[in-house]
Amino acid sequence: MDYGPADQELLDCSQRGVFITCEGNFVSGNASLSFYDPARRQVENEVFLRANGMKLGDVAQSMAVRGGRGYVVVNNSGVVYVIDTDTFEVTGLIEGVVSPRFVHFTNDTTAYVTDLYDPRITVVDTRTNRIRDRIGTNGHKSTEQMVQWGDEVFVNCWSYDDTILVVDAANDRLADSIRVGPQPSSLTVDRYGKLWTVTDGRTEGIQAALYRIDAATRRIERVFSFEPGDHPSGLTANGARDTIYFINRSVWRMPVTAESLPEEPFLRHTNTIFYEVGVDPATSEVYVADAVDYVQHGTVYRFTPRGAPVDTIRVGITPGGFCFKPKNH
Amino acid sequence: MRRFLCIALLLTAFPAVRAAAQRDSAAYALDIERVEIAARRPLARIGVQRSVVDSAVLYETVSTSLAEALASGTTLFIKSYGRATMATASFRGTAPSHTQVTWNGMRVNSPMLGQVDFSLIPSYFVDDAEVFHGASSVGITGGGLGGAVALATAPVDERGWGVRYVQGIGSFSTFDEFLRVTYGGRRWSSSTRVLYGSSENDFEYRNYARKDFRLDADGNVIGSYYPLERNRNGAFDDLHLMQELYFDGGSAGRFSLAAWYTDSHRGLAMLDTDRNRERSKKNTQDERTLRATAGWERLRGALRLAARAGYTYTDMRYLQLADAEGLGNYFAHIDSRSYVHTLFGRAEAAWCPGERWSLTADLAVYQHDVASGDHTVVSEQTGEYTVRSYHEARFEMSGFAAVKWRPVPRLGLALNLRGELYGRELSPVMPALFVDWQLSRRGGVVWKASAARNFRYPTLNDLYFQPGGNPDLRPEKGWTWDTGIEWSVRRAKTSYELSATFFESRIDDWILWVNSGTKLGIFTPMNVRRVRSCGAEANARADVRPHADWRLLFDGHFAWTRSVNRGDPFGPNDRSVGRQLVYIPEFSGAFTARLSWRSWTASWKWCWYSRRFTMSSNDPGVLGSVAPYLMNDVSLEKVFDRRRVRISLKGCVNNLFNEDYVSVQSRPMARRNYAVYVGITPKFGRR
Repeated sequence: MDYGPADQELLDCSQRGVFITCEGNFVSGNASLSFYDPARRQVENEVFLRANGMKLGDVAQSMAVRGGRGYVVVNNSGVVYVIDTDTFEVTGLIEGVVSPRFVHFTNDTTAYVTDLYDPRITVVDTRTNRIRDRIGTNGHKSTEQMVQWGDEVFVNCWSYDDTILVVDAANDRLADSIRVGPQPSSLTVDRYGKLWTVTDGRTEGIQAALYRIDAATRRIERVFSFEPGDHPSGLTANGARDTIYFINRSVWRMPVTAESLPEEPFLRHTNTIFYEVGVDPATSEVYVADAVDYVQHGTVYRFTPRGAPVDTIRVGITPGGFCFKPKNH
Repeated sequence: MRRFLCIALLLTAFPAVRAAAQRDSAAYALDIERVEIAARRPLARIGVQRSVVDSAVLYETVSTSLAEALASGTTLFIKSYGRATMATASFRGTAPSHTQVTWNGMRVNSPMLGQVDFSLIPSYFVDDAEVFHGASSVGITGGGLGGAVALATAPVDERGWGVRYVQGIGSFSTFDEFLRVTYGGRRWSSSTRVLYGSSENDFEYRNYARKDFRLDADGNVIGSYYPLERNRNGAFDDLHLMQELYFDGGSAGRFSLAAWYTDSHRGLAMLDTDRNRERSKKNTQDERTLRATAGWERLRGALRLAARAGYTYTDMRYLQLADAEGLGNYFAHIDSRSYVHTLFGRAEAAWCPGERWSLTADLAVYQHDVASGDHTVVSEQTGEYTVRSYHEARFEMSGFAAVKWRPVPRLGLALNLRGELYGRELSPVMPALFVDWQLSRRGGVVWKASAARNFRYPTLNDLYFQPGGNPDLRPEKGWTWDTGIEWSVRRAKTSYELSATFFESRIDDWILWVNSGTKLGIFTPMNVRRVRSCGAEANARADVRPHADWRLLFDGHFAWTRSVNRGDPFGPNDRSVGRQLVYIPEFSGAFTARLSWRSWTASWKWCWYSRRFTMSSNDPGVLGSVAPYLMNDVSLEKVFDRRRVRISLKGCVNNLFNEDYVSVQSRPMARRNYAVYVGITPKFGRR
């Protein structure tokens, strides 16, 4: 019948744009990658499959861009695909990571890869895509998102943990840790060197909270508590890094100087399941992913920084990550 | 004549013991031919849409699971992840949890999941398998919104000792051993069965889901190809033991005891998209299950009484292991364990006051005790496994009453009523109405129709699973009707049966596990969907003996199923409304043809599934659907019947045309493979 190799296409999207990683369904191997051109308001779906004649894999977790290369992290396939950001063709791959989650570049030749099922952070030489080192995490079981302030990389330990790790990027060694509430699920840093992390509120008897931490002193400055039953996620910052966004059923935003949680949402949820929010660092336009029922094409809504709708984009199954491709890479 | 009719009715009303009665009791076997004639349209089967899995299909090979037997012998849709991995069955476009399964009258659906893994039921351990479609399931148990499968064991036919040993050796280091020792006496009979199957299950397949890359010294891709690789981490070994005892106490009644123990260790094969090494990641599933039933039944005049007690114990362990170094020094990231105890009791009564009437009633009770949780998470405060676990008990009761009436020989009417209690909740009464009309007595043409209201209450996982369980769930509500024509002709050397049925069903408050809306992978069950299914089923059977040495058997099935989401959209972008449900094929077909000449038998099994969508919006692309496939298996068997022993040799070729295919996304299936079976049956004085 018609089970067999997928058709392969020559694609060329050299313009700036937005990559949308679509997780697919766990253990179904139906993750995909979409590329959206904001200028033309055009989307190309399944670009990895079409450019390479093979599936992206199982659970496309995240993506990062560096030096004309896109690093697509496929969590349950144990791989980070390195692709050409114009043609989407695979140029290399990082293997030897069991359950990779995120990639962060500490300089032009070094990338860190966090892992759900490996307690260590993997250090990769981006010139060869080979593993150069592993950073021990002193008893923590997994690592998640990464942000950098100066020479220090901050890493949240989400899965049944309560810690932000501090890694000395100059020496690729664990330097310190900061204890917060249970299960900090996402992490960002603002223009003033303040770390922001949000706990998921899934631990019985403990409400979710948003933490503001001074990166230099590693001191928790402020804790904003959510209501019981709230499960915030998807914390991210805008291009100027003076405003943070997060999802708590609706999409919320607050200035990094605020002393209380916002009272009105940026985007109110109405029969939608907001799954992820991303902010274009160049334009501060806001992209919000709606997973619909998780087993069909998801939808991405594009808004101006003031919240005016711009476009609605139909992408792959469970859009869960945004990666912004710069104009001149 | 009246007495024979009553016996026929009572025997057909209780299928679990019917065979026993026919085979072992001299009194019951007295007029067996007359029973068969009367049973052609027995009161108990008025309007019932029922199919029986042919014994030749059940006993095809020692490695055949009930999932494979149902796939080739009925119109059920089997969703299979491959041999010795999860296989579920669904009727008429419903979910696997809408298929209720009984074993010797005891419901065996998991109280946690609501479904049955048919890959764990070896067909050699089943003597009778009956399938009740749609409304007809109300007569078996409640909650069968799609239908019910009734499985039973039965006493041996023959007096004295009997031994049968079968060994199978197949591709991918697959070995199966089966031994059955039986004894049939005047009052006592016994059967002991042992089956052990193991396989490396490391079949080779062309992986079209991902490529291997050729790299230069700097790690740059310089070439790629679709690799020919082996199924990884799919090895299994399953042990099944079954002991049955039957005692005929004469006027005190018949007593039976059956105990079935399963010890299964299975690797869950890696996806075809996984780039981890085998020694970096491993998922396993271990299960031990004991099912035991004890029964008593007595037939006196027009009244038949029966009682049954049972117990089920299951412990399951799912392990997700990883070792980033790839040395096999695994660390558990998920260690999910479940312990289930179920006590069961059932009382039945059937009364046949005359040729035209029958009344039946039964009451079944279940007491479940379930503990389930992930044992990788230890509380720092207490040191106990307290996170993500639940321990719940639930009492369930199901009461049933039926009245059947045949006012004139050609017309039959039946009304079934069933009510159920779960925990402190009472389900509304489930009525089912049946009618049949013999259009042509000479031509053997019967028209049937049935309609029923049905309910399925939430499982314990639906209500209490941590995290995500939803204690506010409502029962699923179903309504179904069907109508069809059956035609059958039986002559001395030929018999033909044809049937065609049209059905429609609606299910409201369908329970669906949906993501809770965050990226934490937490799913919650909700009453979200309305589903309408309609379609048609057709069956054809033929048994032709044109010559004393020749016999041709044909058993074919075809199903057309439109199972459509009619619920409210999740949101403005939901395109699932009006679309076929995921993994439900719109068309499917299967047949088995068997040609015998003297001691030789050749058989050909064929099945076909149309495209199945894996996205609720019915995207036909590679990521949104599973391609249609045709499968052909052939076998040739030779029997050597000697004075003291009967030996059978059988060779099988599965996937004859070496088709690359998947049945479930990212789960490759085996290409052409082979197996040989040797069966030895000593005669112990019987010739």
